[in-house]
Amino acid sequence: MKLLKEIQSKAFKRAEKYEKEYLDQEQKLVELKQKALKEGSFYREPEPKLAFIIRIRGIVGVPPKPRKILQLLRLRRIYSGVFIRLNKSSLRMLHFIDPYVTWGYPDVETVRALIYKRGHARVNHQRKIIDSNEMIYDKLQKYDIVCMEDLVHEIYTVGKNFKHANSFLWAFKLKPPVGGFSTVKKSFVNKGEHGNREQYINTLVKKMI
Amino acid sequence: MTTQQLRPIVSVFPIKGKVKTIKQVPLPSVFSAPIRPDVVRFVHTNMAKNNRQAHAVSTTAGEQTSATSWGTGRAVARIPRVKGSGTGRSGQAAFGNMCRGGRMYAPKKVWRKWHRKINTNQKRYAVCSAIAATAVTPLVMSRGHRVNKLPELPLVVSDQLQSLTKTRQAVKFLKFIGAYRDVEKVIRTKKTRVGQGKYRNRRHVLRKGPMVVYARNLGIKKAFRNIPGVETASVYTLNLLKLAPGSQMGRFIIWTESAFKLLEDIYGSWEKPSKFKSGFYLPRPVMVNTDVERIIKSDQVQTVLRNRRPRSRKYGKKIQRADPYEDMSVMVKLNPYYKTKLQKQKELEEKNKKERKEIVDKSRKEYEDWLYFSEEEEEEEEEEEEEGSDEDREIEVLSDEN
Repeated sequence: MKLLKEIQSKAFKRAEKYEKEYLDQEQKLVELKQKALKEGSFYREPEPKLAFIIRIRGIVGVPPKPRKILQLLRLRRIYSGVFIRLNKSSLRMLHFIDPYVTWGYPDVETVRALIYKRGHARVNHQRKIIDSNEMIYDKLQKYDIVCMEDLVHEIYTVGKNFKHANSFLWAFKLKPPVGGFSTVKKSFVNKGEHGNREQYINTLVKKMI
Repeated sequence: MTTQQLRPIVSVFPIKGKVKTIKQVPLPSVFSAPIRPDVVRFVHTNMAKNNRQAHAVSTTAGEQTSATSWGTGRAVARIPRVKGSGTGRSGQAAFGNMCRGGRMYAPKKVWRKWHRKINTNQKRYAVCSAIAATAVTPLVMSRGHRVNKLPELPLVVSDQLQSLTKTRQAVKFLKFIGAYRDVEKVIRTKKTRVGQGKYRNRRHVLRKGPMVVYARNLGIKKAFRNIPGVETASVYTLNLLKLAPGSQMGRFIIWTESAFKLLEDIYGSWEKPSKFKSGFYLPRPVMVNTDVERIIKSDQVQTVLRNRRPRSRKYGKKIQRADPYEDMSVMVKLNPYYKTKLQKQKELEEKNKKERKEIVDKSRKEYEDWLYFSEEEEEEEEEEEEEGSDEDREIEVLSDEN
C-alpha cells in the first residue's frame, strides 16, 4: 500500500512534467518554423523516431522473408500493432514488409490511447492487461519507468530505455477498422492501404482501437 | 500397519436356543485386507472362463460341395456355384459366408484359448478382497442379500453346525439365525431361464443365497445341499466365483467358529505369512488411512505447509478492466494527474473563451460605434482607417461576428 502511494505520487509529478514537456515541444516546433519563415528559409523538422506498424494482411501465402521480418517485429496476426524505433536498419525491414503492413508516425494522443486502452504487459510470459502502475513499477523500475505516463513518454520520445519499455508491452491487438479499408493490395500512396501513411496512422488507429 | 493390530471382536452365535454367555472371537486379519473391486473383476472374468467346454463348428460345414465360379460374362455374380443339373441346388452359390448353405466366416475352432491363466498372487488378492467385503454390511446388502434380521456381520456360528445331518435341522437353523429371508428370496425368484439354455439342461435360474463355510464336514454338506440358493464351502478352498458371484463382492457368508479362526492361518496377516499358502502375506492397502480430508486438516500436516501462493491467472478468469476512457476511476488509477489535467484544460479553454469573447465584444462595439458615427463624421472614419477601407472593414466585422 505504501509503495503504491509512493508510485502514485511520483506518477502525478511526472505526468505534470510530461504535459508541460509535450506542450513545450509543440510550441518550440511552431516557433522554429515561424523563425525560419521570417528569415526566408525553411525549417527542416527532425525525422520521426517512432513508428507504429499495423499488420493488415493475414498469414496465408506470405513469403519467407517478409514472414520472418513480421515475426521479428511481433506482428504475428492480422491487426496486430507494435511500436518501432526508426533507424536505417528498421526502415529497411519495413521496406520488405510494406505490402503486409501500414505504418506511420503516431502522436502523443495515439500512443496514450493505445497504451491505456489496449496496453497489455508481458509478465511471466503471460499477456496481462495493465490495470495498475504497480505492474509497470515491478518490471521497469530499474529503467526509471514507474507509471503509465512514464511508459507513454518513453515510447513517444524514444528514450534511452525504449527497447525495454517496448518489449514490456505485448503486441497490440487491434480491431478491424470501423468503416473498413479501401484496398489492402494497393499502397496508401496509390489510394490503397499498405505502406507508410505518416501522420494518417493516427486516424486509422482511432478507427481500430 | 502396527505390530499389535487392535482387532475387533466378533460374537459366536449358537445354532439354536439361547446360551448363557456368548463366546467372543477376534476378527481375522483378512477382513482388513484392501477391498479392490478392480482386482476382483479382473480375476473373476478370467477365472469364469476356466470352466468352459470347447465347442466348434464342424470343419466340413459348408465345404461339402464342388462348386466353381462361372467366371465373368454370364450376368451373374462371380461367387462359386454348385455344379451339375437336375436339382434346385445346381447353380446355387456356395462356400461363401454370405451364401445360403455356405461356410461361416472364420469357422470356430476347438483350439481356441478357452482357459485363462491368472497369477497366483492376483487370485489370492482377489479372494482376500472378497472375504473382506463379506464383512461390510452395505456391500452385502447392495449385492442383494436380505441381511436386516441378522444379529451381526460377519456371522459366526458355533461348530455344532458342522455336525448337522438333516435338512430340516439346517432350515431350522437358518430361520433361527435370521438367514432364512435370503433363502425365501431365492425360492420366490426361481424362474425359467430366458434364452436357449432352458432346453439345454439349464432350465431354471436361481439367485444366490447364503454361503455356509465350514472347517470340517461332519454332515453339514448334505444338510444344506437341498436348500435352494444355499452353498457350502470348506474354508480351505474358498472360490472367488462363489465369494463374489458375477464379480460383485459381498456374498452373505455364515462362518462356523473353527472356519472363522482358521482364516487367520490360511491367509496370514501383514506380519505373519500364511501357513498354507507359502510365502503369502496379506496384501497391503495403498493408503492405510483413507480419510484424506482428516489427514490434510491434521496438525502434523498443517504446520508444515508453506504459505498459499497467489493463484496464477494463466488458465483462470481473465482480469477484466474497464476502458479508462470510459471509466474515470480506472483512468485516475493509472494516471493520477488526469483529473488535474482535465481541470487545467478546462481552465485554459475558459480563459481562451473569455479572451475571444473580449475581442469579439470589442470589435462589435467598434463596429456599432462606426455605424453610429459613420454618416456624420468622415474624419473619424479616416482615423480608424488603419483597419482598412469601408468594404474591408465590413467584411472584417462580419467575420468577427462569425
